[in-house]
Amino acid sequence: MPKIFLLIFSLFLLSCQSEEKIKLEQYYIGGKEIYEQNCANCHQKNGKGLQNLYPPIAGSDYLKDKSKVILAIKNGLVGEIIVNGKRYNQPMPANNQLTNLDIAEVVTYIYNEWKVETKITEVAEVEAVLNPK
Amino acid sequence: MPKIFLNILFVALSISLLFSCDNSPEKLPILGERDFVKGDSVYHTIPDFSFVNQDNLPVTNETYKGKIYVADFFFTTCPTICPVMKKQMLRIYEKYKTNPKIGILSHSIDPRHDSVAVLKEYAARLGVGKGNWNFVTGDRKKIYEIGERSYYVTAGEDSAAAGGIIHSGAFILVDTKRRIRGTYDGTVEESVTKLLKDIDTLLLEK
Repeated sequence: MPKIFLLIFSLFLLSCQSEEKIKLEQYYIGGKEIYEQNCANCHQKNGKGLQNLYPPIAGSDYLKDKSKVILAIKNGLVGEIIVNGKRYNQPMPANNQLTNLDIAEVVTYIYNEWKVETKITEVAEVEAVLNPK
Repeated sequence: MPKIFLNILFVALSISLLFSCDNSPEKLPILGERDFVKGDSVYHTIPDFSFVNQDNLPVTNETYKGKIYVADFFFTTCPTICPVMKKQMLRIYEKYKTNPKIGILSHSIDPRHDSVAVLKEYAARLGVGKGNWNFVTGDRKKIYEIGERSYYVTAGEDSAAAGGIIHSGAFILVDTKRRIRGTYDGTVEESVTKLLKDIDTLLLEK
């Protein structure tokens, strides 16, 4: 009898885990599409940027501050920035058309694809950065 | 059993025959309107022009005298197709940068912003040093005019377009006699691969 309970319990655990995993997968896939449409022109599909013109995202120290990344995606950037010790100075356009969910997805994609972390960036996190109370 | 071998031999022979046909040097078409003057064809050619490049030096039709060149239209703050075009143009630059017979001419269609200094920094950041790739700026009207009437590309201001300017991503191949020999989509890798092949074909042309 207890064995059956154990089995059911572990099944329950497994399904919980995979639900979380499925959500991560959905964010990742949605984020990949958004990335390729809005970011890859300059930063390239592989995230390595283009020469000294467009900075890399893959392996970039700029990713350490996620709020900075979220703000840059939404509002764009003007002026010089330093990425991995190198100076870049090319304006980045704002992406006003992206919803908070879009941004959460694309950030999830970026942070998972280039191995900064293996979890979801929640919409609430994006909201907290863009509309601080 | 021998019949199968014969069949294979036949297929192999036909394939090699097909490829041998493909190897014969093809001639690139000459594009644009043409006139007939006293029984001779007169082809569409790129007219005289005069712009200024990233080193503040004049770039004119004389700069490209006797050269094959690839022309395109872009602007440095373009967030959409230009970065893709420049990545593809780098392939051409890398392949022919030491070949004095080949040139690249990138026209800015946003000369108000793209000053000589801006173009200089853009070229440097792209990794284009001394070589045969000119980034030119000049009179806006003249640039748009030569783009539309001579290279047959669209260029125009449009507040609805990203970056405020609408334009095509075409690469135009011009021969030593200022005639257009091909147009390619500079945002598509395979199209630029074809362009690289066509430049080699054109180099063999007498």
